[in-house]
Amino acid sequence: MFWRLVFQLLRRSRGRFAVAIFAIVSGATVISALLNLDLGVQNKLTQEFRTLGANIVISPPDVQQSVDGGSAAPVLFNEDVLQIGIESVPEANVVASAPYLYIVAKAAQKPVVMVGTLMGELRKFEPTWQLDGRWISSSDDMAGCLVGRNVARQFHLKPDSSLRLTYADRTAELTVSGVVSAGGPDDNQIFVNLPVAQRLAAIDGISVWQISAGGSSKVVAGYLARLTVALPQYQVRPIRQVAEAEGALLGRIRLLIVSMVLLILVLTALCVLGTMAALAMERRKLVGLMKSLGGSISRIVGIFLAEVGVLGAAGGLVGAILGSALSYWMGLRVFGTAIAPRWEVFPVTIVLMVLVTLTGAIPLRLLGNVKPADILRGE
Amino acid sequence: MPTVVQAENLRKEFGNVRALDGVSFRVDGGEWIAIMGPSGSGKTTLINILGGLDTPTAGQAIVDGTDVARLDEAGLTRFRAVKIGFIFQQFHLVPYLTAVENVMLAQYFHSTTDEKEAQQALERVGLGDRIEHLPTQLSGGEQQRVAVARALINHPKLILADEPTGNLDEANEEIVLGLLRELHSEGHTILMVTHAATIGRLADRRIEFAHGHLVQAAATSLKPELA
Repeated sequence: MFWRLVFQLLRRSRGRFAVAIFAIVSGATVISALLNLDLGVQNKLTQEFRTLGANIVISPPDVQQSVDGGSAAPVLFNEDVLQIGIESVPEANVVASAPYLYIVAKAAQKPVVMVGTLMGELRKFEPTWQLDGRWISSSDDMAGCLVGRNVARQFHLKPDSSLRLTYADRTAELTVSGVVSAGGPDDNQIFVNLPVAQRLAAIDGISVWQISAGGSSKVVAGYLARLTVALPQYQVRPIRQVAEAEGALLGRIRLLIVSMVLLILVLTALCVLGTMAALAMERRKLVGLMKSLGGSISRIVGIFLAEVGVLGAAGGLVGAILGSALSYWMGLRVFGTAIAPRWEVFPVTIVLMVLVTLTGAIPLRLLGNVKPADILRGE
Repeated sequence: MPTVVQAENLRKEFGNVRALDGVSFRVDGGEWIAIMGPSGSGKTTLINILGGLDTPTAGQAIVDGTDVARLDEAGLTRFRAVKIGFIFQQFHLVPYLTAVENVMLAQYFHSTTDEKEAQQALERVGLGDRIEHLPTQLSGGEQQRVAVARALINHPKLILADEPTGNLDEANEEIVLGLLRELHSEGHTILMVTHAATIGRLADRRIEFAHGHLVQAAATSLKPELA
């Protein structure tokens, strides 16, 4: 009978609840969208930040490596040993991982930074580079190179142009596969497979090893810590600007979202409060009658609270569905890819809306003062 | 028959107004009592006190061995659920609930609901074909019959009817009075407030009020104990 009463009251009073229902569904929609965004945006932003390149760099001790500058490292180390060490720390979120050798070679008697790496991995490090021509897809390609936009302009290069590089008394004859536009220092560099640079410089080693690790800041920090423990003879460092920018932005976004969720909860509670205050006045007669039939106030208010709770849960569910669709659409508009609905947002939204509607039902306390004799007398 | 109602020197004051002033009387089980008197004479106040809807300022109101004046809020609530069946002039049905649900509501507050029993109660008052109707879909007489079914459903010790036919036309008045006669013949104890002398004469005894005093008792079996 309890639920029968609850649903009959809900059914017959839905007009009275219209404003509260609208507030609950609207509030739940925005909260659900924000929560989905909060959870999804971390991945999206991490993905966005990963397009900025590596966020972990491994170098020999006491070497202050200027990665982007591409200056030659004074201390080199063997990549095979390091690779074994890195692979001993498995991490599913690694996007790209590659050794880098920076040398300053000469082209037409002018110095130019040459970067030897794994070209297949470089593509994963730098997915945003614009390419005119072809990427070097094979690690066995010892003749091809990619040149930065500035280098191409300086030496009048375009795809399929020939390029002669010299280092000491050694020479490398290369063909330009493509011209890359990176919008940064990379535009001043030439990229080749690692053995090409090693052979030209006659160096059996690398300058640094770079890793682009995905996942949240916490995941990256954890991976960094494990690498540090596993590779005590190396310096394992985050690339600070990227890590800090990522952390700060995520922190601000979270603060913004939490503030908005709290604000919406308060506004929804106020709206429900108004409806409940009106409803409490309207139901005084009903409460007087129920009391005259032997209903205790706790039992009667229990029926009304269940009614409000059902309203909150139903509104929360509808809002969670609408909010997921909203966040999906917002993901497409803002990030260019959809933010998939997160299942955990549904119970959180529903529980929040039930709590907020129950908080808004505080005016029902007034019903405790109803005297059945007064009500039945028509007062 | 054992005494079901015993009022001893009952007094009720609303501020400076004395609605009941030293009222004493006794009702035995199975009696049908008509409480009569002009408006403001204290009839409804008496019914409210005996039904546990209100508490007396002084005196005793013992119903089926329970002194209503000594009960707290929770005790009064339970007392109403278990011992009293109310029939109001305004019917006071829950507009959101169907006829059968209105009857079940009384069951719910008493103990557990039994829809079949609630349906039988409605069939008994001639509303077997109106079970799923809302109060707004019923005539005044039908609504009052639902109220009668609701008052009976928990087998109360005392039926309190406050002007049960006051809002009904002649035909429906006759139906409701017929039901009360039937209940009386089955041994129910009924206290009925009425203005109409013709209706009052249907009861075993009449108690007349004026200005909060019990002024007259009619019929041979009445044993008023005037304060």
